[in-house]
Amino acid sequence: MNSLFALLPLVIIVIASLLVLLLEVFLKKENKNYLGFISLFFLIVCAILYFRFWNEEFSYFKGSLVLDKLSLFFFFIFAVAVSFVILLSMKYISLQDANHGEFYALLLFALSGMMIMVSSSSLVIIFLGLEVLSISSYALAGLKRKDKKSSEAAIKYFLLGSFASGFFVYGLALLYGASHSTDISGILDYFRSSPELSLMATIGLGLVIIGFGFKIAVVPFHMWTPDVYEGAPTPITAFFSIGPKAVGFAVLLRIFLYYWRITPESQAIFWLLWIISVLTMLVGNLIALRQTNLKRILAYSSIAHAGYLMVAILARDGSSLLFYLAAYLFMNLGAFAAVIALSKKGKEYLELDDYAGVGFKYPWIGATFTIFLLSLAGFPPTAGFLAKFYVFSAAVREGLVPLVIIGVLASLISVFYYLRIVVYMYMREPSREIAIHLENPALFLVIFLCLYGVLQLGIFPGNILLIIREAINALPF
Amino acid sequence: MIPGSYFFILSVILFILGVIAFFVKRDLITQFLSIEVMLNAGNLAFIAFARALNSLHGQVIVFFIITVAAAEAAVGLAIILLIFRQKKTIKSEDMNLMKG
Repeated sequence: MNSLFALLPLVIIVIASLLVLLLEVFLKKENKNYLGFISLFFLIVCAILYFRFWNEEFSYFKGSLVLDKLSLFFFFIFAVAVSFVILLSMKYISLQDANHGEFYALLLFALSGMMIMVSSSSLVIIFLGLEVLSISSYALAGLKRKDKKSSEAAIKYFLLGSFASGFFVYGLALLYGASHSTDISGILDYFRSSPELSLMATIGLGLVIIGFGFKIAVVPFHMWTPDVYEGAPTPITAFFSIGPKAVGFAVLLRIFLYYWRITPESQAIFWLLWIISVLTMLVGNLIALRQTNLKRILAYSSIAHAGYLMVAILARDGSSLLFYLAAYLFMNLGAFAAVIALSKKGKEYLELDDYAGVGFKYPWIGATFTIFLLSLAGFPPTAGFLAKFYVFSAAVREGLVPLVIIGVLASLISVFYYLRIVVYMYMREPSREIAIHLENPALFLVIFLCLYGVLQLGIFPGNILLIIREAINALPF
Repeated sequence: MIPGSYFFILSVILFILGVIAFFVKRDLITQFLSIEVMLNAGNLAFIAFARALNSLHGQVIVFFIITVAAAEAAVGLAIILLIFRQKKTIKSEDMNLMKG
């Protein structure tokens, strides 16, 4: 397979987003949904192409484009996430006055950025992909143009996101100066060849980690997360909670699976990540306790989940990280889908009080939302339980017992605020009347698929574990 | 002939000034400018290293970063303009609709 053919899926996505932008001009306001279907069609074409790449060789353009099984696996995670978000938005954007054709185009641009990031081994290309993703995300956050909260979310995301890019660029420059290379493997070869780490290289790696820390929202770089999640249109919030996070962890996984192997005694970076992980698990869960807005609760919960994912990085275990991300994809998108279901024209129900009595008034939404929340909290037999189990047992195997104890305690705290939503739904008398718009087949399809994903991964995880193991074992080191 | 390390030291100073300005200034445009200073400190560091290592690689990266900074400026200024239309202010302490 030649290099240009390997680039084809990326080109298809970019062409699709340009096409959507072009068609947007000619379509009437009430026909804008077609743009969503067009985007979905191109996504499926792209996924079929990638399916055929599974057993091909993986390095193209002298290593600038790496299509190994890891990047293909991540592509499928992104493809599922973006197609679910498209399905969720179809009704939402016309109900909430965000019905612009740019919506789908920007989503596809963001997807192309993520594809670039996971399928490259050069940090410069990764930076370019990161910026493609970020710049479209800034615009997506502010897409409800008349809503002041949405614009505020956009400016906060923009300022802190590009601040993080500044760190990333400077860290990259330092790494280049120290190791004479911008390739991940080149940089890591330098780390291996010089056991006495130069100060410049360590600071460079630290700055790159800080840059990524903003994107994956770990404490202490999480300040923007709750505000941006609250202000952005809800399907976009769902996208932010899985897309940028998964891609950040993909790159960290690529760096650290190799890095731990060559520098087993590297203490500074290890403890930096250890502290970040502990802080993220504790702070995320503790602050979530006193939130009353559903989107903010889910924002802090996503911060806490980034902490658990960090444990997997510290445990040097790629397969549990991938399984956690797959489980998180379904349970988190499912929870957001249930939140989106509770809305009507021009109004979203996001306060905890609005959820009083929902479990009896809308039994299906209540029941599925409960399952997603239980999965996020980590109850068996859902995917969330197995995901946490794999991550923590991998960490115990590596001897990180204190970290696991803190992680388990943190997830015990999280049970409280997840169950509080369930208690509100089933055990409180409704204090105010809510009426929601129920004719939304695409949304219920997403809820059903997420439910299927959560239960499939929780009860019969065998198939996906096989795929994940294949993806991890195929890594070149 | 100016030694190569001078460029690098200048870039460190610029980067630190950019970070400080981001936290000290209370104005969205100025904060955005300080981010640009940080990015350009990165550019300068790349050029300094490229000169020291005698490789073109670092100089090419600078072009990419300049392009990215331009794209960021386009989106960022549009967002700031949107904020100004809605609130008639671009002070960052007035961005306080959401808290908690």
